[in-house]
Amino acid sequence: MSSHSDNNEEFHYHAPGLQHQFEDMKQQEESVSIGMWMFLVQEIMFFGGLFTAYLVFRSRYPMAFAAGSNHLNAFWGGLNTLVLIVSSLTMALTVYYAQKGNRNMQVILIVLTMFFGSVFLGVKAIEYTDKYNHGLVPVSGWNKRIKEEAGDHHEAAKPCWDVDHNAPVVEHPNPHGEFQWTDCSLVKLAQDHNYLTDAERVGYFNQGTGQIDANKFRDKVRIFYFIYFVMTGLHALHMIIGLGIMTWLLILAWKNTFSADYYMPVEMSGLYWHFVDIVWIFLFPLLYLLGRHFLH
Amino acid sequence: MSDNHEQHEHMNIPKYLAIFGILVVGTIATYFAATIDLDWIFPGANTLLALGIAFTKTACVMLFFMHVYWSPKLIWLSALASFFWLAIMFSYTMQDYFTRSLGVFSS
Repeated sequence: MSSHSDNNEEFHYHAPGLQHQFEDMKQQEESVSIGMWMFLVQEIMFFGGLFTAYLVFRSRYPMAFAAGSNHLNAFWGGLNTLVLIVSSLTMALTVYYAQKGNRNMQVILIVLTMFFGSVFLGVKAIEYTDKYNHGLVPVSGWNKRIKEEAGDHHEAAKPCWDVDHNAPVVEHPNPHGEFQWTDCSLVKLAQDHNYLTDAERVGYFNQGTGQIDANKFRDKVRIFYFIYFVMTGLHALHMIIGLGIMTWLLILAWKNTFSADYYMPVEMSGLYWHFVDIVWIFLFPLLYLLGRHFLH
Repeated sequence: MSDNHEQHEHMNIPKYLAIFGILVVGTIATYFAATIDLDWIFPGANTLLALGIAFTKTACVMLFFMHVYWSPKLIWLSALASFFWLAIMFSYTMQDYFTRSLGVFSS
């Protein structure tokens, strides 16, 4: 490239995309891939720490996790999984057409990838709004405030495990925007079938009366929502960064930069995009589906 | 990535679509498998099945979409080592938590 403008005695052929520190394209491509994979490995460890937190708390409070998970909308989660898989396909095809040097198909497919990435984030926004409206954001004061009206306390008489799942959803007053959870039916189910963990026997029950303690159970469900928001939030952040990378790639593809000899930026961006897809492949069953089989 | 110009022939559009099809089927299977109660086999069988499908999908994405299958040994090693280190992190953490006495941070 430009750095080789000095007067060499013999002529060196340089591929158009070759950086001066590399011998040839093959060495450059291998170095670039290794670098990208090292980055992805540390990303796996980064998300791995969060999965470890998930593992620790779910193994202690499986029913609280199942209860929290069943409130997530599996349709939106499943739709988002499919949307990401389609975006992974368009990304893989972008690499394919970059290797062929087909500028128009690259541009079309990058735009499609960005479109599906944006759809994913849009669905995520719908879901987060739903959590905000229903008092499920695990931080006090970050939920929708619903004013308490006179004579609202008529439902307090019913025990928290006696829940009619077919009844219409009632809006509970939430004057301070607190995290709210009123349904302990899964604790009752696990108690009746005798599969509470030791931690749950301590963590869900009032040690004086031996009854299910709605407040203690709520705090365990809250742990699930902390993990849900941190994991999906960091995943969404990766999607936003991915959209930034796609914008850069779109500009390069528009300028017809890539060819059979030089397509590594597309390939490496593809690796990142597929990695983000893989994280979601695990998040979907582990966050949205873990308690579905308790619903009959 | 041993030979640049041969690599173009490794994947073609029908193959990409086939992998895509496997991923879509896997997603739908994950959903329906989660609605069936498999606890009669052993508690947690649902989660194990879901993880099995997820790892299969991950293998498809990594091998074919991320071209690991045709990559140098060092790339294979990096990809596998990351899961190996994850396994160490999970197992060492859990052997701590599973062997703690009750109430350490339960109530």
